[in-house]
Amino acid sequence: MLRVIKPKTARSKRALDAREPKEVEDPRTVIFVKGTHTGEVVNGVFKDLMALKRPHAVAFNKKNVIHPFDSATNSSTTSSSAAGSSTSIASLEFWAAKNDASMFVVGQTTKKRPNGMTFVRMFDGRVLDMIEVGVENYKAMADFKTPKSTPGNKPLLHFASELFDTHPRFIHLKSMLIDFFNGEEVDSISLIGLEHVISISLGPTPSTLNDATSMSLLPSTYSADSVHANPLAAVASASFIANSLPPTAATSLAMASASLPKVHIRAYTTKLLSSGVRVPRVELVPMGPALDLVLRRAQAPDSDMLKLAMKRPKLKKTDVEKGLGKKRKNVEVDEMGDLRGRVHVGLQDLSKLKGRRMKGLQEERPGKKQRIEEDDGDDDMDDE
Amino acid sequence: MDVTSILDAQKAKQQNVTVEKETPLEIDAGHLMVSDLNPIDEESYNENLEEHLRALARDGTQALLAALFSLPTSKSADGPLAQLPPRTYQLPRQKALPKPKPPTKWERFAAAKGISHVKRDKKEWDEERQEWVNRWGKDGKNRRVEEQWLTEVKRNADPDHNPQLAARHERKERIAKNEKQHLANLARASGSSASGPSSRKAELEKSIATTRASTASMGKFDRKLDGEKKLRGVKRKFDPAERSVVDEQKSALKLIGSMDSDARKMRKAPRENEEGSVNARKAIRFASKGKGAASMAGGETRGKSSFAKGKKGGRR
Repeated sequence: MLRVIKPKTARSKRALDAREPKEVEDPRTVIFVKGTHTGEVVNGVFKDLMALKRPHAVAFNKKNVIHPFDSATNSSTTSSSAAGSSTSIASLEFWAAKNDASMFVVGQTTKKRPNGMTFVRMFDGRVLDMIEVGVENYKAMADFKTPKSTPGNKPLLHFASELFDTHPRFIHLKSMLIDFFNGEEVDSISLIGLEHVISISLGPTPSTLNDATSMSLLPSTYSADSVHANPLAAVASASFIANSLPPTAATSLAMASASLPKVHIRAYTTKLLSSGVRVPRVELVPMGPALDLVLRRAQAPDSDMLKLAMKRPKLKKTDVEKGLGKKRKNVEVDEMGDLRGRVHVGLQDLSKLKGRRMKGLQEERPGKKQRIEEDDGDDDMDDE
Repeated sequence: MDVTSILDAQKAKQQNVTVEKETPLEIDAGHLMVSDLNPIDEESYNENLEEHLRALARDGTQALLAALFSLPTSKSADGPLAQLPPRTYQLPRQKALPKPKPPTKWERFAAAKGISHVKRDKKEWDEERQEWVNRWGKDGKNRRVEEQWLTEVKRNADPDHNPQLAARHERKERIAKNEKQHLANLARASGSSASGPSSRKAELEKSIATTRASTASMGKFDRKLDGEKKLRGVKRKFDPAERSVVDEQKSALKLIGSMDSDARKMRKAPRENEEGSVNARKAIRFASKGKGAASMAGGETRGKSSFAKGKKGGRR
């Protein structure tokens, strides 16, 4: 849809090359789009989130007719129309291509869903997954009369609740929020520059969730290790558009938005106090916006697209030496940091080994032995 | 020497910065992330939400800082830099993985010979002038001969020899050569469907075959030269003059059927016009006297009107 631009100047060519896929990617540029009705709360939230996300954020000034979830409901009703993707999804893809952005926050207020925000993530120019939340209890950054952190600093992230590891909807939310708040991918960081923390915690787990055994919602191949390697794999297999789920006794309880605990997002600036030891004691001063969110609809990623999105580049030699990658047999890094390998040679029969002849090492001949014995006897007599 | 008190004081300080939890906090230093997997304490949550959240965050941050400060550091101008370990938690990518580009001809040669790339600067030290000059660009050294107002010429030089033009010609040749090599690299990288020489050969054979059939008798009565391949073609088949009525009926009905069908070859009734009954094609043909719409545009197309695009060519 976007016309392919052929660069005519060196500068435009550089700009185009900057958009090419890279092995280590830049942070996601987020576009903040307002729907037809937003309201004070959503506007304020957008301003604050953009301040946290600067400079990798773009805000659209005008209001747009956009309903990211509409293809889900429309496709069931319009069977005759051959439209594969809804126009909202098409708009998102166009904006992503034009602005070279890969994440959206769409704000909309309706009577049924007041103060709604939808986080949308893109992969390869197409929509990967979406999460809709509703904002309750918002306190603006301007209302906290405290010093703020420098824009563009990489935040520390803190997630509190065991549900972030067990419940698929919260696993999905965790992944989305990390992607949102993450800054650049860096290999080293200045310890003095750790200025702010963004803390995301949940309300206490209601007992209904525990009874319904949230584990039953996850596929059987789930394990704690695999979570980190591919956290969304558990999410992709289930789908959470709450309206379209078949009502089964246990799952409908768990899926009903009302029973899911609320999400609290807080941002603090860190104050490092000197303790006696090397690690300083940290005190937190509330800085940024205070948001309380409630989960609404969500669209899980398509498993094929997810597989492509989670592909990693091949490990380089330096990383294997560091110890990553599949465990190579007979190779290890010893305490000195050197790479050591073992060479396996078969069993060697050293007796058969033919070396050089040295007179002193030769075995005594039988004749010689007797002579020594006699001498020993003489020696004894001498000592007396 | 009572060391125990000092040790106790040290331990107390250490306690200050350690965090004790039921389940130890999971720390992903690569993302600067800490995950607290303990269930939320309902009482403190209900009592004072903000304080509860702040305490939770403080504990988590403390644990994270402890981990970060224990990482190996390197010195830098702005202070100690902690070397972050590779990430454990994986996030989906934004764009697909870059496809590995095949090395260019030069890159293959350099890899084989062990030549490493030396980065050159735009400015070069010129001993004669004792100053830094551009290698290319404004007042660049590569254009020196073209731009200087005086060039020494040999005594026996041709009177028509223009050193400025000669230098310009050389530079343009170098550019063209570079472009050609670049295009060849691109073609090789994109993986052209057929390998170079064989695709060219196929092209040539195709054009030879077309030429041979382009005579008045469609190549049938032409003498075949030595070394030419036999032309493959469809032999025309003629039905016998007398056929049974049934066969004739069948073939006639088949013909009518194909006329009625949607097969492209038969042009049916004239195409329906949306507005009015103007046949645009016919109108253009009439107005341009068979030369086509392009010739009616005027201006630069005038020169080309002799090679007209109309059906009846330029002979009218």
